Amino acid sequence: MEYWKAIVYPAHHYSKTPSLQTSITPSLHYSNYKSMNKNINIGLGFRREIADAFLNQEIMPDFIEVAPENWIDLGGYWGDVFRKVNEQYPLILHGLSLSIGSPEEPDWDFLKKLKRIIKQFNVKIYSEHLSFAKLDNAHLYDLLPIPFKEDSINHIVKRIKQVQDFLEMPLTIENVSYYTPVDAEITESEFISRIVKESGCNMLLDVNNVYVNAFNHNYNTHEFIDAMPLEKVSYIHMAGHHKLNDNLIIDTHGEAIIDPVFELFDYTLDKLGRNIPVLLERDFNFPEMNELKLEMNKLRNICLKHQDQNVVQY
Amino acid sequence: MLYSTKTYQTQKKLTNWVRTGSNPEVPGTVLEGLKQYRRLFRNNINNTMEQAFPISFEVLNKEQWKQLIDDFFAHHDAKTPHVWKLPFEFYQFVNKQKYSSKFNMPFLNDLLHFEWLEIEIFTMQDILPEPYKKTGDLLNDRIECNNEFQLTQLKYPVHLFAAKESLKHSGDYYLLSYRMPETYEVKFIDFPVLHVLFFEKICNDRMSANEIIKEISDQNPSVDKKQLKQNIEEFIETMFSEKVFLGYSETYQN
Repeated sequence: MEYWKAIVYPAHHYSKTPSLQTSITPSLHYSNYKSMNKNINIGLGFRREIADAFLNQEIMPDFIEVAPENWIDLGGYWGDVFRKVNEQYPLILHGLSLSIGSPEEPDWDFLKKLKRIIKQFNVKIYSEHLSFAKLDNAHLYDLLPIPFKEDSINHIVKRIKQVQDFLEMPLTIENVSYYTPVDAEITESEFISRIVKESGCNMLLDVNNVYVNAFNHNYNTHEFIDAMPLEKVSYIHMAGHHKLNDNLIIDTHGEAIIDPVFELFDYTLDKLGRNIPVLLERDFNFPEMNELKLEMNKLRNICLKHQDQNVVQY
Repeated sequence: MLYSTKTYQTQKKLTNWVRTGSNPEVPGTVLEGLKQYRRLFRNNINNTMEQAFPISFEVLNKEQWKQLIDDFFAHHDAKTPHVWKLPFEFYQFVNKQKYSSKFNMPFLNDLLHFEWLEIEIFTMQDILPEPYKKTGDLLNDRIECNNEFQLTQLKYPVHLFAAKESLKHSGDYYLLSYRMPETYEVKFIDFPVLHVLFFEKICNDRMSANEIIKEISDQNPSVDKKQLKQNIEEFIETMFSEKVFLGYSETYQN
């Protein structure tokens, strides 16, 4: 998660101008920054540490994704950067604080601000995590697993409907990585599927999270993908992770994507039967831009393999 | 809420573990996984505060810093959805819980405040000035101020001296923090009390220099008007050069 990377330090706290990378590898095609590409859309998370690379077009994804919590209310230098980058790239929002699994009501004040941003930048996808990040109105700034239970489904379906009604757009819900189950009575796949189907929301399928959870909780990745409500999947996340020990992987977004996750992505696209926007998430430990481009090209090549499939435009 | 009481209590136990590291008896969990949550969440808070308050982090010893982070995470219900605003809540928490007394560091509140101010001014929403012109009558025209500022009173001059050194210089200090137009750099100016008066009359009350001179002279007949005029002229010229004052107002005409 990129929570603590959100700090927006002034001069002595933090360098406003990360060192520029110089080498540029020609990419397959980056032709249209005002609207997402009609065929394949590979995005990159917009992070402050690499902001200049986006602005000077050293790296040019088809779209960018940000956490609205890290940009709403910001003025000054970063407010200016945010305006500029939104003139160059289509924007997807991936929230951190909605906390759809919290017992309390959603934060309506925050949602009002969010709705303004969605309209201002013509945002087509607002995604959030199927988790909770606050309890009794105390924010925790990271994601906790929800008990996979019947009453949880009922509660979250109601919350999703409330948020969708307010925002006047479908919410896109992401399967999260988790390091322990919590009082689970049903499987994760049933939990996710039922929430998506009963709420009418869309799904952000994080393929790396499927891999991480399958490793940590000993299940089969293909069977899990097969059990997802694939017709409702409208967006994909891809990322690297950190293997802590032989029993546990942590979803860090701080490493390159490993081959088995690329393979699972290939499998997922095959099952999906269509291309949808795909985001490369990288939140820290940033490599040379060339390396990110190579990762994005690898994702694009896998998408190209499936290009004969129906194309769903953003 | 459609959660059962049991599910809600399970969530409470889970968050309690994450925040305090005590009572890991959360139903249906694996301790190894629970430990990761405690570690990751606490690291988030620690890293956020360490980056927001680099001077305080240096000044406090390891145990003191750890105590602040642990107590803050365990006992403070964070309000903001924006983690970059959380350092303000941390500053308020430390102030309210009187850690400056507990640690025998009277300057601690001012130091945290000073460090927060830099972030606050750097990130504050843009407040555009009213229309202004570059030339005008320094004594008679209304001045358009840079709106992106805060004027703060400090007891310990942590903006002038190293934190522990500031103890020897306690008093009434007025600190103007503001954001430079175009470069967005945050600057600080230490104001003597007379300059606070000038600044507030010009920027808040929208008075011209001559109106301020008249008001002060009327209230204090013994004041040296010539000296006062010279003081306010020098003040205004300095504020123009420092981009605290931007120009002469086109909205407020004489």
